[in-house]
Amino acid sequence: MTTQRSGGELTDPMTVDEFRATTNAIVANIEQVIEGKTATVRLALAVLLAEGHLLIEDVPGVGKTKLAKALARSIDCSVRRIQFTPDLLPSDVTGVSVYNQETRDFEFKPGAVFANLVVGDEINRASPKTQSALLECMEEHQVTVDGVTYTMEIPFMVVATQNPIEMEGTYPLPEAQRDRFTARIAMGYPDAAAEYAMLDGYHSHDPLEDLTSVVDGGTVRRLIATVRSVHVAEAVKRYAVELVTATREAPELRLGASPRSTLQLLRTAKAVAALDGRDYVVPDDLQTLAVPVLAHRVIPTADAQLARRTTDAILSELVHRLPVPHDRGGRSPYDTRPATPPNSFYDRRG
Amino acid sequence: MNSRRHLGLVAGAATVLASAPISDIFAGWTWLFEGGLIVAMVTGAALGARSLRGRLWAQLLAMLGALLIGLTWLFGNGTAILGLIPTPDTFAEFGRLFALAGEEVQKSYVPVPDLDGLLFVSALGMGSVAILVDVCAVGLRRPALAGLPMLAIYSVPVAVYVDSLSPIPFIVGAIGFLWLLVSDNVDRVRRFGRRFTGEGRGVDVWEPSPLASAGRRLAVVGVLVAVALPLAVPAMSAGFLGDFGSGDGLGQAGKGPRGNGRVDLFAELSGRLKQAGVQDMVKVTTNDPDPFYMRFGVADQISGGGFASRQPTGQPVSDNLPDPSGLDLGSVRSQAATARVEITENFAMPLLPVYAAPTAVRGLDAAWSYDPSLQILYSQRANSAEQSYEFDYVRADFTPDQLRTAPIMAASDSNQREFSRVPEVSEVRTLVDKLVEGKTNNYDRVRALYDYFSAKNDFRYDVAAPAGTSGAAIVDFLNNKRGFCEQYAAALAWMVRTAGIPARVAFGFTLGSSSDNGVRTLTNRNLHAWTEVYFSGFGWVPFDATPSTYVVGSAPTAWAPDVDAPEEVPGGARPSLSPGATDGSAGPGGPTRDPIDPDGGVAGPITLDNELPTWVWVATGGVVLLLALLITPALRRSMLRRRRGMRAAVAASGGDFADVGVSVADLTMTVVTDTDAARRQAHAAWDELIDTMIDHRLVVDPAETPRATVERLISTALPASAAVEQARLLGMAEERARYAPVPLAADRLTPAVRAVRRAIAGEADRGVRLTAMLMPPSVLLRWRNAAFNGFTTLSDRLARLSGVGKRLLRPLRPGRLLR
Repeated sequence: MTTQRSGGELTDPMTVDEFRATTNAIVANIEQVIEGKTATVRLALAVLLAEGHLLIEDVPGVGKTKLAKALARSIDCSVRRIQFTPDLLPSDVTGVSVYNQETRDFEFKPGAVFANLVVGDEINRASPKTQSALLECMEEHQVTVDGVTYTMEIPFMVVATQNPIEMEGTYPLPEAQRDRFTARIAMGYPDAAAEYAMLDGYHSHDPLEDLTSVVDGGTVRRLIATVRSVHVAEAVKRYAVELVTATREAPELRLGASPRSTLQLLRTAKAVAALDGRDYVVPDDLQTLAVPVLAHRVIPTADAQLARRTTDAILSELVHRLPVPHDRGGRSPYDTRPATPPNSFYDRRG
Repeated sequence: MNSRRHLGLVAGAATVLASAPISDIFAGWTWLFEGGLIVAMVTGAALGARSLRGRLWAQLLAMLGALLIGLTWLFGNGTAILGLIPTPDTFAEFGRLFALAGEEVQKSYVPVPDLDGLLFVSALGMGSVAILVDVCAVGLRRPALAGLPMLAIYSVPVAVYVDSLSPIPFIVGAIGFLWLLVSDNVDRVRRFGRRFTGEGRGVDVWEPSPLASAGRRLAVVGVLVAVALPLAVPAMSAGFLGDFGSGDGLGQAGKGPRGNGRVDLFAELSGRLKQAGVQDMVKVTTNDPDPFYMRFGVADQISGGGFASRQPTGQPVSDNLPDPSGLDLGSVRSQAATARVEITENFAMPLLPVYAAPTAVRGLDAAWSYDPSLQILYSQRANSAEQSYEFDYVRADFTPDQLRTAPIMAASDSNQREFSRVPEVSEVRTLVDKLVEGKTNNYDRVRALYDYFSAKNDFRYDVAAPAGTSGAAIVDFLNNKRGFCEQYAAALAWMVRTAGIPARVAFGFTLGSSSDNGVRTLTNRNLHAWTEVYFSGFGWVPFDATPSTYVVGSAPTAWAPDVDAPEEVPGGARPSLSPGATDGSAGPGGPTRDPIDPDGGVAGPITLDNELPTWVWVATGGVVLLLALLITPALRRSMLRRRRGMRAAVAASGGDFADVGVSVADLTMTVVTDTDAARRQAHAAWDELIDTMIDHRLVVDPAETPRATVERLISTALPASAAVEQARLLGMAEERARYAPVPLAADRLTPAVRAVRRAIAGEADRGVRLTAMLMPPSVLLRWRNAAFNGFTTLSDRLARLSGVGKRLLRPLRPGRLLR
């Protein structure tokens, strides 16, 4: 088995100031197209810098694809777009070996995933076979075709969109595949002012076409290197584990979050911290990320579903219950709750 | 049976049980029959009114009616129509019974026979209590309140008896109250439905509730408080608690002769005086129209425990007794007389009472001897009970003028040497020196000391005062000014000795009641002690310092007049004691104040004279302790604050700052190299901020990060305040201290904390600010948590221990029999 390596190494991290300037430029660039969605845009960027993949799930027409394309255009790197349809084949995604008459050899024709940024539109319309073709490359950053493994370039990010309402003729993403997306975000409707401004912006032409790249692939690699160097205190690591463990122990959840999610949660938190101009992660980062990073991986119990409790609500409640960590060991000095939970009277059976 | 009816019956039964202490008052059981009948009628009326769905006022009226009819039936004495319906005559009869009861109370000694007046009052009382209990327990559903009227019954025998009572009636009463409480609670719980363990089966009435452990905790705390509180109240030390272990003769009184004529006369005296009931002890007939007290004992030795009698020595009695009393009959008026004495079986001692000073005794066998120095008849082996004898004696009448002429004795005189010895007690010495100042002769000195024990100086008679005649007891008595004859006699003797004059304590009987045929009956109420002072040439002269109003059959003398009399008897104005002046003869039920009545002794408040009594110190100490307890949280809070400030100072001075110049969130800050100190300091500042927030009732959420906490603080408590930046700085410092590789510099945190605290306090209203200052909730909360955690741990351990016991006891549970 041969391995073909492509892309560059992650070296030369930036200073905090340089990092902020660069990322602010990207965010500002994207915001020319998507107005009034700074938090969403920054989260999308954070997922890119955390080397993760993004699932944008919302109703049609709120700018899912636009966000993906704007992000792709802001970075001067290879961008491919796959429109998922029921008849899309796995080889369309990964690539195919074809016989070259001249060289009398099989030649690998790379599929759509061989790009720095892959925009997968309406991912739930493809058959599970095709969806699963994405699995290997998303997690392992490599594609194996005919026994040859091709490594993807860095950065590599899949931005998939899906429509939650129109379920006819769709193949909902299986849990395994959902788990590979670092974060799931919803676009949400723009507020009135943003929508009004949009009318002017889109009046004559699509501003997306005017969008120019502000960074190149090398800069993105430096940004990623910077994110990797962000400090995570022991207390914060503990908090991440506690948070994920809490999803597994929550009575309202049938399936908790995976260990992979812990990893991705912390990685995204590093990116968010860096975007915020910090060289260390704070629990606030994990708290903001708990819903986007964890909510699409957990499955509520039938009771919770009957009670119309969304996973978002369950998770944010969980976050509000979990005490934040401190580096002093033992209980928080102002944790006023008793050390051992008071015995229920009904536990004391004689 | 519905629950209210059931509870009504229980209330009636509980009332009957609670009236058990009345059994201490009556000799018979008629009261129970009559009272029980009344209670049954009242309860029945209440049940009837309730079954007719009468309101509370209707029930009350029905019960009052039943009480009236019941009383009319039992006590109407034929004044009522058909024996049941009261007429105006009936009420007149009730009034008569009431007045009769008042008289009976005065006349009788407990336990009383079935006297109409008292039976009426007790039936009325039980009926009233039954009404109150029913209203409280059934009408208002507050059975705990019903304990108050029940307690009123408790107080009756306690007020009548000075000394201890059998606890059994009280326990019976308490059982009644508990029954009422339990019945009510079971009803209360049943109204919610069946009790349920959580194991899927119901709980029987007998089984402990899952809440029982909480109840047990409350009970333990309640009992501890009930025991500890009376100990802290000073007045109670003279009450029943003070009697424990002192053994002052209550149990020993009248137990027959003891050994060789030495008897603890003080114990005997206080025991007999406190004894319930009246016993005739001595019958005496004398031809002396105006006798003084009969004597039978003397205490002239002072040991560590105070005055004590010594071993009497002397010759067997004969017709001609020696007279070493030192009385020069030539200069003093005296009267020879003869007396006949019959002793009942109630006076059983190795001593015989005689008038001073006997000259001849007849009718006694050779077992009896006479001590001429003590002037007492004693025996080594015989008992005074049922003895009868006759004796001649000489009664001297001294006048103050004569006594003033008594020379001051030489220090070498044996009487002077032996009977003026007294341990030096500085308090007594000071008082004596003050009183005798300027007096030139012994009599005036003694009179000055004697006059001191007057009502003017707030001396009161109190038979319940602590016994004892040691130096400390004397000082206590002089401070408290409450005591009975024992204390008065001993204190005067002690003071006279302190003044350098020989003195001793004599025991005997006061005059007693005189019947028509001239026989005086002396009872245990006439037992008395007084002081005798030795005057050269006059012998032992009696001085009775006990306030005469409280002494049954007291006899003031010309030389020792009643100090509380309206006007002073001029010295020597009366040649002899007039019979009218000594008409203090009082037998059982006489008009004189009963010395056993504690009310007589404690009338009027105790005032502070020379020294503050101990209870003032105890009270002051209690108040100081209370204040100290109250300010402890505030002290703890300020200590915490100071310690955090100190930590800040140390960190600020010890740190070697490197201005790395990291710019974060518009706050330019330096980053420190001494990271540990800076972290500690940031934590200290943060803890202080959190405590300040808790103190000012701002919500603190442990699930909130420092950043979020500060932002919430700013939005809720610090709108548009100058301290916003300072608060953000604190949050940032804590955040960096916790999570960042390099913390912030510490130097600006202490002023920031101060500024934020001021801002928070400024925004809070006054009540919150005061609470934060005086009773900081942060400290209280921490203590409460600590206490709760400690208690939980403890009770868990106990539960584990008791689990073993429960397994062993399980087969014995009554619930098993019912299932």
